Amino acid sequence: MTMFHFFNCAILTFGPHAVYYSATPLSEYDTIGTSVKAAVVYLGTALVKLVFLAAFLNVSENESFDPYQELLKALIGFIDVAGIYFALTQLTHRNISQNHKFQAVGLGWAFADSVLHKLAPLWVGARGLEFTWDYILQGLEANANLVLSISLAALGSLMWLRKNKPRTLIPIIYLCAWIVATMPSITSYLRRGLGWHLPKVVGFELFTSLVMAFISWQLFAACQRPSV
Amino acid sequence: MAIVRDGRFQLLDSACSLIAILFVLFAGVELCDAATVVDVYRLIQYDLAGVPFGSRLASLNHHAGSSLYSPNADLTRTVIIFPIRELDVSVVKDYIVQRQLLGGLLFLLPRLFTSKGIKKDDDHQSEKDVMRKKLVQLEQLLVHANIPYPVYFAFEDENVEAVLADVKRNDATGQPATATTGGYKLVVSTAEPKKVVSPTITNIQGWLPGFKVDGDSNQLPTIAIVASYDTFGAAPALSVGSDSNGSGVVAVLEIARLFSLLYSNPKTRGRYNLLFGLTSGGPYNYNGTYKWLRSLDQRLRESVDYAICLNSIGSWDNELWIHVSKPPENSYIKQIFEGFSDVAGEMGFKVDLKHKKINISNPRVAWEHEQFSRLRITAVTLSELSAAPEFLENFGSIFDGRHFVRETAITRSVKLVAESLARHIYGHQGKNVQIFAENSSLAVNPSYVQSWLNLLSRTPRVAPFLQKSDPFISALKRELAEHTAEVNVQHEVLNGIFTFYDSTKATLNIYQVASVTFDLLLLLVLGSYLIVLFSFLVITTRGLDDLISLFRRPPSRKVKAA
Repeated sequence: MTMFHFFNCAILTFGPHAVYYSATPLSEYDTIGTSVKAAVVYLGTALVKLVFLAAFLNVSENESFDPYQELLKALIGFIDVAGIYFALTQLTHRNISQNHKFQAVGLGWAFADSVLHKLAPLWVGARGLEFTWDYILQGLEANANLVLSISLAALGSLMWLRKNKPRTLIPIIYLCAWIVATMPSITSYLRRGLGWHLPKVVGFELFTSLVMAFISWQLFAACQRPSV
Repeated sequence: MAIVRDGRFQLLDSACSLIAILFVLFAGVELCDAATVVDVYRLIQYDLAGVPFGSRLASLNHHAGSSLYSPNADLTRTVIIFPIRELDVSVVKDYIVQRQLLGGLLFLLPRLFTSKGIKKDDDHQSEKDVMRKKLVQLEQLLVHANIPYPVYFAFEDENVEAVLADVKRNDATGQPATATTGGYKLVVSTAEPKKVVSPTITNIQGWLPGFKVDGDSNQLPTIAIVASYDTFGAAPALSVGSDSNGSGVVAVLEIARLFSLLYSNPKTRGRYNLLFGLTSGGPYNYNGTYKWLRSLDQRLRESVDYAICLNSIGSWDNELWIHVSKPPENSYIKQIFEGFSDVAGEMGFKVDLKHKKINISNPRVAWEHEQFSRLRITAVTLSELSAAPEFLENFGSIFDGRHFVRETAITRSVKLVAESLARHIYGHQGKNVQIFAENSSLAVNPSYVQSWLNLLSRTPRVAPFLQKSDPFISALKRELAEHTAEVNVQHEVLNGIFTFYDSTKATLNIYQVASVTFDLLLLLVLGSYLIVLFSFLVITTRGLDDLISLFRRPPSRKVKAA
């Protein structure tokens, strides 16, 4: 059952990325290069974040929630936004529409994140004899993360790439982007500050990611409308 | 594991992940993540003249069960967990006698037997006695049976109890655990048990010479005080034998200490040599005693006036037995017995004489003194047991731990032996002289007795698993050297008809496992999830591009979906 279970959890963790790529027009326009670039940017961002975390954060021995440390962590988390900004605006993307660009970047970003954070625990843990729900939940978390990454990329592309957007929507866009960017800190707070258990946290993540995705989609569609 | 549970963006984790990937992928490290890890002690495995006994296997990888009567369970692939508290020995007996196959057996010893779980109240006394009786029965059954599957003992704790409760609940619903229903899996990964190559037994002898007026001290008569120190039990790693025969060993050491005090002063040095013997191989018809006596110098052997063997003297109340193999009318026996019963009378308890003839043609030696008697040396065994134990019985059963032995019983036994010996040596028979009176400098030292008893109760002493160089043996040797003039250590090979197998101790991993059906279902659910996701994404995103063309292109979607 061990390899089987590992296989199942891997499908849950990485399957949606592949499905997203093949189901959407991304595959038709062959945007894999953009995704790979975004993944590389993610790796670079992760390294920078690592350096910052190592420089400014005390490693706490216990799992308690320290507001100051968490604030710092949230601030450092915003480096992600910079990374996405870089991936969206500074990289030269071959002939790719804005629509596809943000999706490809979000996809590459989320996939790199999943590989970095989920693959090793999965390989180590899910093949063991011991059964826990952890790896299934972790796979669900990866799904939520994919949705959030694409939402963030969509909002980012609205903020930085689209010039003629309705003026009334701009604060909403910024607010949403801020919310999405602080999601990691929010979940961290839920888990450590409020002591939520993993299933609850994952449920919350799935729910919020879907809500944020819906809002981003509506915002995107609203911005799209004048140009159509 | 921090990696598993922590957040997605915790970048410290990503470093851990990277390192973990490096280690795990390239070094192939298997990490242990079992729900519960328990120390388990294997049932002894031995051959007696080529006939196999005990548990013949060590490695275990089966599902857990709680009953031998699960209707549709495949018992050959199930490890049955029995808590001794609820065990009905006859059920196990039937099963073993019928030689039916099992995946394995795991007996849970009550916390009563662990050093921490003990309580000092008498409410537990009857419970203890019941458990003790059960365990003795079970051990005798297991030791004398040939069991073709692994049998382990473990101590109860919260984790194991939780697992057992789950297993019981599962069994009660009529769905015993197999590969398709999940449950718990018990895994002991250990190598095939190997034969212990030429097991040695080590006898330790201390010599305290008497006061010689003129001529050689060897011509003085000698009194031997002997106890066998090794043990034998169903679980060799748990066989500490506090009473049998740790109490005897403690008594020999303490008597040696007391007489070394007397003998260190020329004025109080007796006209008897004292020979202290700690012999091994006790459970195997006193094989060590046999070899020791035959290796003794002929003149020394002939100078032995009599020998006192001490066996199980740590948990009696008001009666001790002197076991002899010569008729009680024998003058030596009479003299020894009278000496003992005088002192016992003064101390307020009873000593009785029990005569058991030796059958020379029978290899069975039930008491240590019988080895002396076979060489025509007068010898007696002082014991709390009224009858001779059976072969391999009463040599350090699992229950025979520190908490079933009372130091006071040992100190009283020591006092009895030392006092009557001293009266004999100094010729005070029949007089009421207290040589080892309490509160005198020659009193029996309870803390000495206690500390040695504690050490013995921590040290499993099954001879084949006790190396020549074992720290315990050197400790015994050092202690005896402290109190006697000369110490000899004798290594002998154990009687060849016994073969023992190693791996007496192992680690049991208890995994909670999901069934294959669960994984199949999960695969189905995930597959449909991905298909739904795919359809949803096609509908929505293609719609974003061209909302109308989406509905005009169902054929192409079908091709893609397929």
